[in-house]
Amino acid sequence: MGVALRGIRRTFPDGTVALHGLDLAFEQGEFIVLLGPSGSGKTTACRMLAGLDVPSAGTIEIDGRDVTALPPRLRGMGMVFQNYALYAHKSVFENIAYPLRVRKFAADAIRSKVQAIAALLRIEPYLHRRPAELSGGQAQRVAVARALVWEPAICLMDEPLSNLDALLRLQLRTELKRLHRDLSKTFVFVTHDQEEAMTLGTRIAVLRDGRLEQFEAPRNIYRKPASRFVAEFIGRPAMNTFDGEVRDGRFHAPGWAVPVEDRPAGPAVLGIRPEQIEIVPAATEGAFPLVLDVCEPVEPDILWFLRAGDRSLIVRGSGDDIAAESGDTVHVRFPRGALHWFDPVTGARLP
Amino acid sequence: MTAAPAWRRLAWAVLAVAVVIAVTPYLWLLLTSFKTRVDILSPQPTWQFAPTWANYPAVFIGKEYLPLLWNSLSIAGFSTLLSLAIGAPAAYVFARERFPGREDLFFFFLTTRMAPPISIAVPLFLFFTAAGMIDTLYAVIIAHTSFNLSLVVWMMRGFFADIPREIDEAAQMDGRSRLGAFVGVVLPLAAPGLAATAVLCFILSWNEFLYAFLLAAFEGRPLTVGIPGLVTPHGTLWGQVAAVAVVATLPIVVFAMLVQRHLVRGLTFGAVKA
Repeated sequence: MGVALRGIRRTFPDGTVALHGLDLAFEQGEFIVLLGPSGSGKTTACRMLAGLDVPSAGTIEIDGRDVTALPPRLRGMGMVFQNYALYAHKSVFENIAYPLRVRKFAADAIRSKVQAIAALLRIEPYLHRRPAELSGGQAQRVAVARALVWEPAICLMDEPLSNLDALLRLQLRTELKRLHRDLSKTFVFVTHDQEEAMTLGTRIAVLRDGRLEQFEAPRNIYRKPASRFVAEFIGRPAMNTFDGEVRDGRFHAPGWAVPVEDRPAGPAVLGIRPEQIEIVPAATEGAFPLVLDVCEPVEPDILWFLRAGDRSLIVRGSGDDIAAESGDTVHVRFPRGALHWFDPVTGARLP
Repeated sequence: MTAAPAWRRLAWAVLAVAVVIAVTPYLWLLLTSFKTRVDILSPQPTWQFAPTWANYPAVFIGKEYLPLLWNSLSIAGFSTLLSLAIGAPAAYVFARERFPGREDLFFFFLTTRMAPPISIAVPLFLFFTAAGMIDTLYAVIIAHTSFNLSLVVWMMRGFFADIPREIDEAAQMDGRSRLGAFVGVVLPLAAPGLAATAVLCFILSWNEFLYAFLLAAFEGRPLTVGIPGLVTPHGTLWGQVAAVAVVATLPIVVFAMLVQRHLVRGLTFGAVKA
């Protein structure tokens, strides 16, 4: 089962454009994450897939069949909403059974399917309860059960973990991953949380202002971000990026400079991840000195904030690397393969 | 047991006075319906008298007022159903869809109640005469629907707006059509609001006199229109008036008691959110 969005545009009545011609295609069994800040169009894209919103232009295909005009009920997809959207007047059992009842399953089939999915999501003890008597985590499990009980080919999830507290979020995240492994369904997951995206997705579509920035496996997104935006959006703390100019074998940013090799001269944006910067003894080749501003322990690591001109260069290191205090000078080295270069105007990745 | 604070006792006193003021006329009506003509017209009103059952059969069987009760029930019942059947879907659209002129159209529904009812009485009369529907239940039902409709639209919009949009969408993902989601999921969730609105419509229609009197003064007349018929050239038949009034108010009293919890919740909920 292949799904393809082709040239999807969505213009809202007030004139804002939510999606500028989105192209996205994926295969059966993938865990696709739509990632982006608010207003990036990720939820709109998900709703287009569901059939809850209609594109202003472009087509949506499932297995080569054009489903753009098809209502949600004919698309064979289940959906989990951020606010659970459980039916408050029905018991948990009836909530989960609802898609089966609507689709006219036999009574005993309904019972066994509901029991099976409830066992999988560990919500059997609550089947007789009302949604109002559930905690957030339980409610969202029920919503997931309802979306999956009739075994749709695709399960859409619109920020399903965003309303849960931190601990539950981690727990349910792992369970979603397990569920995806066990059911081998296609999951499409919308989130603004890069960590959720990195941990869950087989491929991540990073969206920004209604445009697709990059659509690749998490590893590639992390290692080869296609743009400055993706580079800064993925990873915590965010990648260090500096506007500057390459000149005489050095990269000059306002207030500091670093030796670089094999770069054409001219304006450029240099990026380097905090966890890839090395703190080294003073005499090391390629090392350069910076003054330590603040350090924040995030056990077992430490974040060093080094003064780099009027900005901070953030280094993530192990707490055992050095003992330094605010105002001390430390020497850092940028490993050669760790540098990313972006176009200062377009933000696109440079080779 | 500790003594109640003074302000509490004062509150009880105020409440007691209010209850007495509200209930006494009704009690008096109830007693009057069991009095003979002599007791009713006695210059010294009394709580103690020899009760008579004669007023009820005299008016409901002797004067054949029983069908009027049926007329009242039909008019109030059907106009309520019709108002809900037309108004609830309209309110749902107002709550969910954006379209040009939405708020203007919504306000238009309210303006239909702003003119004094009497101002459209003559046009209504001419209209139903031309349609050959004068003195039928249909005329009154439609007339009552015309003013109850704005109430339904106005109240139900708030109730529907309280239900998250995702509920409709979840129902669609679960295999329902848009209309199916409305009927199957949204309406049941809005049931308390629907009930409160229905009771209000029913009471307004049941108590209505002007349109009923103009459009159905004879065969189709409800109880409210029947009462003036007891003011005869030989004097007003107070005992029978009271008997009709008791029967006419009884269903409302019972109804209001049954649903008062929903009514209060419904009215405050709907009104604030709309």
